[in-house]
Amino acid sequence: MRKSLILTEHITISSTILIVLLGIVLVSFSLIKDVLINPYRYFSTGLSLEEIQFFVVYTSLIVICVLISFIIYLLLTLRTRAELMILKATESLDASREQFVKIYDGAPVPYVTLNDKGEICNPNKAALRFFGGVLKEIEGKNLFSYGSKEDLDKTERFFQYYKSKVPINREEMRMIIKDGSVKWVLLSVFEMEAFGGSGRTGLATIFDITEQKQLDQAKTEFVSLASHQLKTPVSTVKWYIDMLLSGNLGELSIKQKDYLNIVFKVNEEMIDLIDALLNVSRVEIGSIKVESKSTNVIEITESVLVELSSQIEEKKLSINKQYNDNLKNIRSDPKLLRIVIQNLVSNAVKYTPTDGVVTISFKDSFTGKSIIVSDTGIGIPKSEQDKIFTKMFRARNVHDLKGIQGTGLGLYLVKSIVETMGGSISFISEENKGSTFTIKL
Amino acid sequence: MEKTDKKNVLVVDDDDNLRTVLIDKLNMSGFYAIGASNGEEGLEKALKTHPDVILLDIIMPILNGWEMLKKLREDEWGKGAKVIMLTVIENTEAIARAVEDNSLAYLIKTNESMDDVVEKVKTMLRNN
Repeated sequence: MRKSLILTEHITISSTILIVLLGIVLVSFSLIKDVLINPYRYFSTGLSLEEIQFFVVYTSLIVICVLISFIIYLLLTLRTRAELMILKATESLDASREQFVKIYDGAPVPYVTLNDKGEICNPNKAALRFFGGVLKEIEGKNLFSYGSKEDLDKTERFFQYYKSKVPINREEMRMIIKDGSVKWVLLSVFEMEAFGGSGRTGLATIFDITEQKQLDQAKTEFVSLASHQLKTPVSTVKWYIDMLLSGNLGELSIKQKDYLNIVFKVNEEMIDLIDALLNVSRVEIGSIKVESKSTNVIEITESVLVELSSQIEEKKLSINKQYNDNLKNIRSDPKLLRIVIQNLVSNAVKYTPTDGVVTISFKDSFTGKSIIVSDTGIGIPKSEQDKIFTKMFRARNVHDLKGIQGTGLGLYLVKSIVETMGGSISFISEENKGSTFTIKL
Repeated sequence: MEKTDKKNVLVVDDDDNLRTVLIDKLNMSGFYAIGASNGEEGLEKALKTHPDVILLDIIMPILNGWEMLKKLREDEWGKGAKVIMLTVIENTEAIARAVEDNSLAYLIKTNESMDDVVEKVKTMLRNN
């Protein structure tokens, strides 16, 4: 309506000016009516000086008239043109806004806007579905009041972030919705330019990750259950063979002992394989959590060496220790570090022939702390070095040896754990000379 | 329970085979060992017979190892009862609790030989 009024006004002014201009031009034609009636006579006989002067003045006057009319047009229609431009811009803005509202409202992800108190202002349809209520039940409620009782501290912290205008980016938390159920969400809150100018507006996105969390939990529980179910029978076998071999149940013949020793050894390998598979599963589910605490690397190494003492003694290996007291008390995860050290040292012992040397050294430099395990063993062939950290891989020169068993998972596990802890692993190796593995913590 | 100068050990584990072999080994090593196949039975026998050491499996039906331990510690005698938790996996909870509680130890079944188990029981008995 308003637009048509402005347009009408604009056209009226423009038309009036045009008509006046036309009027002036037409009236002025009367001055040159003789030329118009009989133009041939004028231009064939030539024009006098006065006639030329007259035509020049006449033409100049017409041009001046047109220019003045144009200037008057611009001045008079300044307001209407400006208003038309504003109207056009407003229409365009309205169209964009309408599109934005459609997208916001129809988005599959719950969006809400928050006022400066953190109260919900514009929940979209997905948000209404998520919270499980109607508009008036949700609007005006503080978003951070939906935090579950298990996450009270977290919710309070996020509320403080919001009040201090610190963005919240994909933070996990639990929320309680209308029906009382607890939902795991990823919450993001960012500042938005406030519509209308007053107060601030936050835009909150709520990703429901309850299903993923339940799936992760199910996977972790499965791994724990599998762990228990697999290890119980191997423990049973271990202890029954132990009883037989110890002579507790009567004297055995040499052959019987040999056979039982093989069963025992194979069962031990099965235990190692189950451990490795379960650890690999944990790595792949992502359920390996680094629990940083005071860790004594020397103590861990010593206990690993005790475990391997019978093999070390049997192969008459020399263990060269180059410890550094700085690694007596570092921040790390002792459980994970033990798996790493156990794997590296056990590999060194396994793949070093009789009378060989295994060196374990610790370094503390400005680049950080390192654990270095090196041996004088069979080494890794150059052509296979790029595959050494892959799953189920064992180098060909290991297959050539009799009796050295391995899961093919150890180094994959070590690399995954080291990287989860924020460190790195590297190695140098030469076939038949030995290998050196370096862990940077 | 027979009055005997042998030390009494109660083995609580739902796996019949494991329980049997543990009882056999302990009996052969000079102890008097009896068994229970779940936490409820284990708690009943523990409170009735006051064993010198209890070997307690964690994952069991009816009442699991932690639940049984909790109820045991509510009893006057049970407060100071010597318990060795049996686990199959590295159990951070078991380790942490063992560090705090002098009457509590743990062992990982797949890591220990039968002689190790007997040694652990003897060590537990030596602790005051």
